[in-house]
Amino acid sequence: MSTLTKILIVLLTISSIFLCGIVVTYVANADNYMEKYQNLKSSKDSLSKEVDSLTKQVNEKIAQKRQVEDKLNDKISSLNTEFTAMQTELGNSEREKAELLQKVNNWTSITKDFYQTNDKQGQLLKNTLGELERVRTEQIKQSKELNETTAALVEKMAIIETLQAKTKRLLEEKSELQSRLNQIYQPIGVAAAGTAPVTQQNTKAMPVRPETNKIGLNGLVTAVDIKNSMAGISIGLADGVKEGMKFHVVRDDKFVCDILIIDVDSEQAVGVLDLVQKQPKVGDKVSTNL
Amino acid sequence: MDSFGKTPGVKPAASSNLYTIILVFSFCIVVATAALVAYKCYSQYDTIFKIW
Repeated sequence: MSTLTKILIVLLTISSIFLCGIVVTYVANADNYMEKYQNLKSSKDSLSKEVDSLTKQVNEKIAQKRQVEDKLNDKISSLNTEFTAMQTELGNSEREKAELLQKVNNWTSITKDFYQTNDKQGQLLKNTLGELERVRTEQIKQSKELNETTAALVEKMAIIETLQAKTKRLLEEKSELQSRLNQIYQPIGVAAAGTAPVTQQNTKAMPVRPETNKIGLNGLVTAVDIKNSMAGISIGLADGVKEGMKFHVVRDDKFVCDILIIDVDSEQAVGVLDLVQKQPKVGDKVSTNL
Repeated sequence: MDSFGKTPGVKPAASSNLYTIILVFSFCIVVATAALVAYKCYSQYDTIFKIW
């Protein structure tokens, strides 16, 4: 065996040892790619499953979100409708409020005017009442004067009637005397004029009074004025009382006096006392018939 | 020396067993390395040649 061959064998051996060492080192340190692949694959599968589940959850969430969104949209639309209606109602309420405020203002002004008018009317009423009181006082005075005048007139009329009757009776006596004279002087041939009186002498002439016996009115004495010999009764023109009527005043079935009516109002009357036996009082019964 | 590398006049002698042993040793190392690689491939990938 030549030297060269020997050298080649040695080199071959050295190189084989070196290369085999490199290979063994590499193989010993090499990674297990299949295991890594399987690990990665399993992790990928799990991740895929997780992705699927998450996708499902996301889809469910999206569906829920859409449902909630639809519900909220419906609610928003209904609330918008309600809001529009409430805005319309608010506008109507504001208009009504303005109208009511206007009415309140009008009523306030009317009330103020009414109060002012009421005050004026009150003042006017006071003045009118004062005037009425004054007129009543004056009326009472005039009534008294009228009564006095009426009484005087009645008395004068009675005197006139008496005088007229006396005159008539004198004329009749004169005529009677004349006729007697004619009878006396007739045989002589002298004639005498005159006629005999036919009317009897009347002591006192009374005014004609209305017929009261057939009426049958009943009432009460409401006022008595002893000074002026006057009294008021509770019945008047509405009950049929007339001026000149005579009422009899009784108390406990006893005669008190008579009242000769001289003034009649619708619900009451005033008269002069006559034939006073007792002093009349308020509440005594009056009637046309005893 | 002729064209074959033999020195004329030198008697050819048998080769030494030392280099044979070295060669065998080298061969054994290579075989062992190949076996190790095959074992690793089989244990990790369940096959020796085809990975996939």
